[in-house]
Amino acid sequence: MAIGAISLAGCTAAAAPTPTPTPTPAPTAAPTPTLAPAEFPATLVDDEGTSVTITAQPQRIVSLSPANTETVFALGAGARLVGGTDADDFPAEAKALPDVATYQGVVVEQLVNLEPDLVLAAGNGFNPPADIARIRDLGIPVVVLYAEDVPGVLHDIELIGDAIGESRAAERMAATMAARIETVSSATSALGSRPRTFYELGDQPEIYGPADGSFVADMVSLAGGDPITTGSTTAYSISLERLVTADPEVIVLGDANYGATPESLAARPGWTGMTAVKTGAVRPVDDVIVTRPGPRLADGLAALALAIHPDLVLP
Amino acid sequence: MSAGAASRPRPAVHVGRLETLRHRPLLVAAGGLVALGAVVVAGVALGNVALPVGDTIGILARHLLGWPVTATWPASAETIVFDLRLPRVLTAVVVGAGLAVAGTTFQGLLRNPLADPYVLGTASGAALGAALAVLIPVRIALLGFGLLHLFAFVGALLAVAAVWRLSRQTSLSSLTALLLTGYAVGSLLAAGLSVAMYASGAQLRQIVFYLLGGFSGASWPQLAAATPLVVVGSLLILARARSLNALLLGEEAAANLGIAVRRERAILLALAALVTAAAVAVSGLVGFVGLVVPHLVRLLVGPNARVVLPLSAIVGAAFLALADLVARIPGELPVGVVTAIVGAPFFLLILRRARAGYEV
Amino acid sequence: MRDGYELSGVSLTYGRRTVLDGLDLHIGAGECVAVLGPNGAGKSTLLRVLTGHAPERRGAVHLDGIPLEEYSRETLARRVAVVPGEASLPFAARVEEVVALGRVPHEDPLRGMRAADHAAVAAAIERVGIADLVGRDARRLSLGERQLVVLAMALAQAPRILILDEPTVHLDLRHQVDVMELLVQLNSRDGVGVVAVLHDLSLAAHFFPRLILLDRGRIVADGAPDEVLSPERIRAVYGVDPALVRR
Repeated sequence: MAIGAISLAGCTAAAAPTPTPTPTPAPTAAPTPTLAPAEFPATLVDDEGTSVTITAQPQRIVSLSPANTETVFALGAGARLVGGTDADDFPAEAKALPDVATYQGVVVEQLVNLEPDLVLAAGNGFNPPADIARIRDLGIPVVVLYAEDVPGVLHDIELIGDAIGESRAAERMAATMAARIETVSSATSALGSRPRTFYELGDQPEIYGPADGSFVADMVSLAGGDPITTGSTTAYSISLERLVTADPEVIVLGDANYGATPESLAARPGWTGMTAVKTGAVRPVDDVIVTRPGPRLADGLAALALAIHPDLVLP
Repeated sequence: MSAGAASRPRPAVHVGRLETLRHRPLLVAAGGLVALGAVVVAGVALGNVALPVGDTIGILARHLLGWPVTATWPASAETIVFDLRLPRVLTAVVVGAGLAVAGTTFQGLLRNPLADPYVLGTASGAALGAALAVLIPVRIALLGFGLLHLFAFVGALLAVAAVWRLSRQTSLSSLTALLLTGYAVGSLLAAGLSVAMYASGAQLRQIVFYLLGGFSGASWPQLAAATPLVVVGSLLILARARSLNALLLGEEAAANLGIAVRRERAILLALAALVTAAAVAVSGLVGFVGLVVPHLVRLLVGPNARVVLPLSAIVGAAFLALADLVARIPGELPVGVVTAIVGAPFFLLILRRARAGYEV
Repeated sequence: MRDGYELSGVSLTYGRRTVLDGLDLHIGAGECVAVLGPNGAGKSTLLRVLTGHAPERRGAVHLDGIPLEEYSRETLARRVAVVPGEASLPFAARVEEVVALGRVPHEDPLRGMRAADHAAVAAAIERVGIADLVGRDARRLSLGERQLVVLAMALAQAPRILILDEPTVHLDLRHQVDVMELLVQLNSRDGVGVVAVLHDLSLAAHFFPRLILLDRGRIVADGAPDEVLSPERIRAVYGVDPALVRR
């Protein structure tokens, strides 16, 4: 299905050659062809398959996820953003936005008070679906974005571009990102080795890693690693036994931002037998750019590739 | 006269004393209604966004009374007051009243002061229903209802029906059978819920939101659906207050007082379960109200169900609306947390000052 | 048909056990009767038959000339009141509120108690002599006082017949005597019929003009205390030395 999405998405670059390891569980929406710039009223189909009509170019945009916020800024429409989340941290101007959404949910009253004409939400439960339905019931157009894999992120950037009237800029950004992703991907495959890689998302109270077919697993593949996954498409926890049996050759510390270090990992009981620990192939990475489905994803892929293949040279 | 009977002084019965006691419920009702009114007004006037009081009054006058007030406020203010706050406050009122009435009924039916609306599996059934709805990857939204509300409602009712049927097959006394079966079925459903939560992955948060209970999703269509069920159910229970009173001394005594115990118990159980299911379908699992409010009211006016039922409804409504207001001002605390934090110390205070004759 | 209870050929079996065996009995509406017998004689079962809680029984039971089955529960409750041997309350309730429960078969289901009901409650409280207990939590009374309260409750039902199942079981002697005297008064002065299951032979013999002695589901004696509690009969039915029974 991912391959299909890529081939239909017109102006994006050639598809990445590596396939996702297992099929994705939920269906992706049919992507829309990119529109001529600033053509409103427009009707889009968001990633949940909902038809959203936007009557005029939005001037008061509210973003309900840090990724969407980044994308809007990157497309040059940061001045039209009137609200964001408390987790918005990039670019620096994003922090000044009024927060209408937190991990707990959307404060609908404050959102309504901002009088938005477009809301960019995140799917798969990131924003509570009940809140999204509530906002729609009040007559405010909501576009729900959810990318299951890397090509999905590029699609979403273009979808946001269409929604806010910056289709050209979005096309260009997506193309640039696709090219960079392709470069990284080719460079890693040229190395000829695909080490078994465990991307650690957390270690308390259980060990957390990418689920089968998840976005992070896709990133690891593209970055030239053979991702070790949890064995389930919905669970993000992996037992130590399974991990030890899989014996990662590289461990990428996605939780480095939360204090995990190669030394603390090596001190964990039962971990010292793993190849990665024995060879010292435990490397931190900035989790935000690797997992956030936004404009910095290509940078994230490059950083991930370097973490997996430290001797990699990127043009 | 024997020596025994004469040794106790025998004044004439103070019918006057009985009379004064009868006025007290009216006082409590009046006080409760005043509190309820105040809380509803506060709930609409206050919120996450500070709106001028004049605007709020104007919006309400326009929408509710139809007065031709010129709109000096932005459209967003109207949305906030009329589409967000008002249905939310009214939903809290309806749910609070319903849970209190259901709690009173269950406590009377099961003759157990620790009973609450959730004791016979309603909570577990609703929670499991909601969890299953979240897991089903189909998105149905009809008039502001999701699959979640429907499944929670049905889940609650099915659970009680199962408990009722199963309890009839045991050889224990009917009350014990009900309570124990309720516990067993509830535990089983809770286990199912745990499995569903484990399998839910990214959807887990939605399930947890439901379990914590809250009114952030309140809307007019939901209110319109829940209100008739709660109101009609409560009125029908009130009409059978006599049976609840008779059950005070036990099954046999009630039968000897002329009550068809089996039938009344089934009817009251079904009505209380219906009211509870309607409440949890729109608000999730809000605890404390159904357990504490009936006791609070009994402390003030005694155990007569005819008085306790309507007063519990009023007090429950005011209490939950207040709790929701407190929950949403700082930024969406779960309502169940607030009901416990607000309710528990208050209740302990009442217990300390309880006069002789009305201790719990 | 005579007034009061008329039983013909009443039998009741549980599985293979015969609890009541072909009873023929008449208890007039204004009589004062004590039902005696050893454990398992069927005394409590007989009471259940009288109160209409034994649907599995065979034989005919008439109350005031009408078959018992034809009484609605409410109507029966207005004629016959049962004083429970033990009563427990899940919530605190004042004495007068417990007594007021006796008006349940009379009160309007929707509107509740009215002036007549309140008067009946007050009268019952006065009659039983517990006016000084009004306002107290019924759960905190002594056993003797509680028994009086449920007796008042039964009285508030304004019954023609009072049925009691071992009303003096937990009481001390003084309260036993109080209750007995009250029952006798209710019968002689107020014309309320009394049917009481008692375990204390001496008490029964002293206060009740008519005793019915049951043994293994049959009536073995029915009449004045002297006749019923002859030494031979006591030895035969109870298996104890008749001298133990004070007269």
